Amino acid sequence: MNISPNEAEESLEAIRKITQKTRRSISGSGAYIFLIITGIIWLVGFVATQFLTGKILVAIWVGMSVLGSVIAVLLGTQNSKRVRSSSTSVYVKRILIFWISLIFFCLAAIAIAQPVNGKQITMFIILFTMLGQFAMEMVLSFSSSWWAVPIAALALVGYLFFPNIFYLWMGVLVGGCMIALGLSIRFRW
Amino acid sequence: MAELNETIHQPVRLQIMATLVTLEEGNEVDFTYLRKLLGVTDGNLGAHLHKLEEAGYITIHKTFVERKPRTFVAATPLGRTVFHEHVAALEAILKRK
Repeated sequence: MNISPNEAEESLEAIRKITQKTRRSISGSGAYIFLIITGIIWLVGFVATQFLTGKILVAIWVGMSVLGSVIAVLLGTQNSKRVRSSSTSVYVKRILIFWISLIFFCLAAIAIAQPVNGKQITMFIILFTMLGQFAMEMVLSFSSSWWAVPIAALALVGYLFFPNIFYLWMGVLVGGCMIALGLSIRFRW
Repeated sequence: MAELNETIHQPVRLQIMATLVTLEEGNEVDFTYLRKLLGVTDGNLGAHLHKLEEAGYITIHKTFVERKPRTFVAATPLGRTVFHEHVAALEAILKRK
């Protein structure tokens, strides 16, 4: 089979376009939206934690978390109708057990270490959550497994070097980074 | 040296393969979603999928989801290999330009 260089160029261009369209379409309700939702929850929740206390703060965290969970479940369901992974269906029970175990380990670690303030508890939860996220993505989608590590590192930097503005750091910088990362995946990937 | 593949080179089939290869290995895509993505008709897509399945480049999996019939399509390892060889052959032609 012989074709001209122009035809070859057109074919490669068609492949490039459809590849980009597919990636954008799949990411349309994929990882990026979860990053943005988590980023917004962290941004609002942690900035509120820096400046507010009491019941209003609890209400903000609970409200944001419930809203975020509902949106994530709806979008996740929508995405699973378009593309499904045999590995996900096979491992779905193991994934559930893994997350329940991780929550148990996190609570056990908190109980043993007996953190003295909310910042330490926040860091325990963030480190365990990012570890779980990293492990899940390594198993299910290696190409998108990298972001949990820099997010955890950024949170650690805030905890170790900027304790006075830790919640503000978590909200604006870490939450903001997650939103920016989500938007970047959506529009540049 | 990689060779062009006549089955894959047809424009719609090339786009189908490019879409399926973009997915991670083991993932399959819904027929309706694929049709909308490529902007083709049911019959047209079905015919091209049939040719690719005959060649062993894709698998078609018919099932029921929430009592509704659904068709899922995935690239086989052979399909992925052949597609990458086809792309390499196209790139080689461009280099010789």
